[in-house]
Amino acid sequence: MGEKVVSFNNICMYFGGVKAIDDLSFSVEKGQIFGIIGPNGAGKTTVFNVLSGVYIPTSGEVKYRDQVLNNVPAHKITANGIARTFQNICLFNDQTVLDNLKIAYYGHSKYNVLDVILGTKRFREEEASIEKECLDILDYLGLKDFAAQKAGALPYGAQRRVELARAIACKPEVLLLDEPAAGMNPAEIEALNQLIQNIRDHYGLTVLLVEHQMRLVMSICDEILVVNFGKKLAQGKPHEIKNNSDVLEAYLGKAN
Amino acid sequence: MKSKILKNILLFLAGLAVCFICDNLGLIKSSYILVVEYIGIYSIFVLGVNVVNGYLGIFSLAHAGIMAIGAYSSALVSMYVFDSIFTFPISILVGGLMGMLAGMLLATSSFKVSGDYLAIITLGFSLIIKSIVQNWGFVGGSRGLRPIPKYTSLIVIFVCLIIAIILVNKFVKSKYGRSILAIRDNHVASELVSVDNKKCKTVAFGLSSFLIGISGALVCHLLAYTNPASYGYTTIVDGLVMVYLGGIGSITGSIIGATVWEILVQALRGIGTWRWVIGGAIMVLVMIFLPKGICGNRELTWNDMKRLWAAIKEKFGSLKAAKSKASGKEGK
Repeated sequence: MGEKVVSFNNICMYFGGVKAIDDLSFSVEKGQIFGIIGPNGAGKTTVFNVLSGVYIPTSGEVKYRDQVLNNVPAHKITANGIARTFQNICLFNDQTVLDNLKIAYYGHSKYNVLDVILGTKRFREEEASIEKECLDILDYLGLKDFAAQKAGALPYGAQRRVELARAIACKPEVLLLDEPAAGMNPAEIEALNQLIQNIRDHYGLTVLLVEHQMRLVMSICDEILVVNFGKKLAQGKPHEIKNNSDVLEAYLGKAN
Repeated sequence: MKSKILKNILLFLAGLAVCFICDNLGLIKSSYILVVEYIGIYSIFVLGVNVVNGYLGIFSLAHAGIMAIGAYSSALVSMYVFDSIFTFPISILVGGLMGMLAGMLLATSSFKVSGDYLAIITLGFSLIIKSIVQNWGFVGGSRGLRPIPKYTSLIVIFVCLIIAIILVNKFVKSKYGRSILAIRDNHVASELVSVDNKKCKTVAFGLSSFLIGISGALVCHLLAYTNPASYGYTTIVDGLVMVYLGGIGSITGSIIGATVWEILVQALRGIGTWRWVIGGAIMVLVMIFLPKGICGNRELTWNDMKRLWAAIKEKFGSLKAAKSKASGKEGK
């Protein structure tokens, strides 16, 4: 058993009368690819929103290593090491791909307003190293040719990869991928499968994955959590989940 | 790299010399110089407005109020504390810093509110400042504050404008500049890629109000008096028009906007109130044909100028050729 990186302890997230997450507990170990699946509206994305600080949970405790994240603002959570991508692509469309990545370095650059005004050595050195590291990430993801292009003008598949690159530029330890395969064809999914495993190994990440494409989930996840109506339905290895009667019932209905 | 810095310094010195000649030798009519001075001051003002309304993309109407704060605070310093041309930079700085303080306070209101509601809050701020100076006997009430020493000259404006351009340029190229563009695009996504939205907004408001405060300080020391009526709706509208005419999110755009609008206002002075009609019509046309302003979200570079010049030359060349052809035919 590895160390626990992220843990949810009895999290509830209510929106008025709607119980988006209801008493959910799970933990993710370092280096895992952890899949979260469930029918539409089961609360998968809400799990990510709670974890990344968009929502403050109604009750319970979100933990990143030993740190409680309940009241930490979203930008600090990201700077501390939890980065995410979005279900609907949320790039900064008017800016170049390179600038999209540079923005993600905000949490890691240490220069302040005075450094900017005076143009100090620290400012110049940090800017240079940010540019270099961003280009390295783009290179690794095969996006170097797009660096100077406006993010909004790229084709869909490339935008998905830029979003992934931007999340990596936050220098995370935990990467949350919200439906990375949405709208992709089988060949692209196969490539994505490889890519996720590669970046996990290359950058030493722990990956949380929300996904509907069962083929992707079953082939790369080390562990899978199934949620339904905000509650935990099952948790286990892919082959266990495949044969779990509760899961089959939630997806396909009850056999008479 | 070094030769570039040297070139810039030489250009700066040349600019200083030109300003000095214009100021002191009386070769050019003083009314023309006044127009140039106005253009310089409004360029600083528009640069300030552009940081918040253009780069950050928040529709703020606070600039009139902040300009008033800058003008009155620097005027009071010049009148009662440091009354000498040599301490004038201190007065300007006080004007800028007081404006900055007010702006950073205003920035806190942008954390929770946005869009139309924030426009109303900032409009309220402008109107409150205006009525405060209108009803405060110590600063002259609605009669205005006078006599303010007349320290502003072309040289001072030129130096301030250069400093303003350098400040905005550095800011835009730093992480703060990148981040406010990201906030403008998508403020949820920016927060989730580790951008501290609140801090970036505060910094942007601070810089913006600092520049607007400086422009206020300069304008009241230029006219030797100031009154509350100069910081009303006209100033608010002028600021917005110059920003959207010149182009949001652009330094050269700000200066072009200020120049074009100021020349237009002066050129149309002869037709009285009708100039607002013509000015408004031009504004509508610009919005239809250039919705992002003359150079929205991009800078005008030397290469652009060269290309423009080449295009103009080519057009004139072809016209001339056509003309000479036509006249040649007639000759036959």
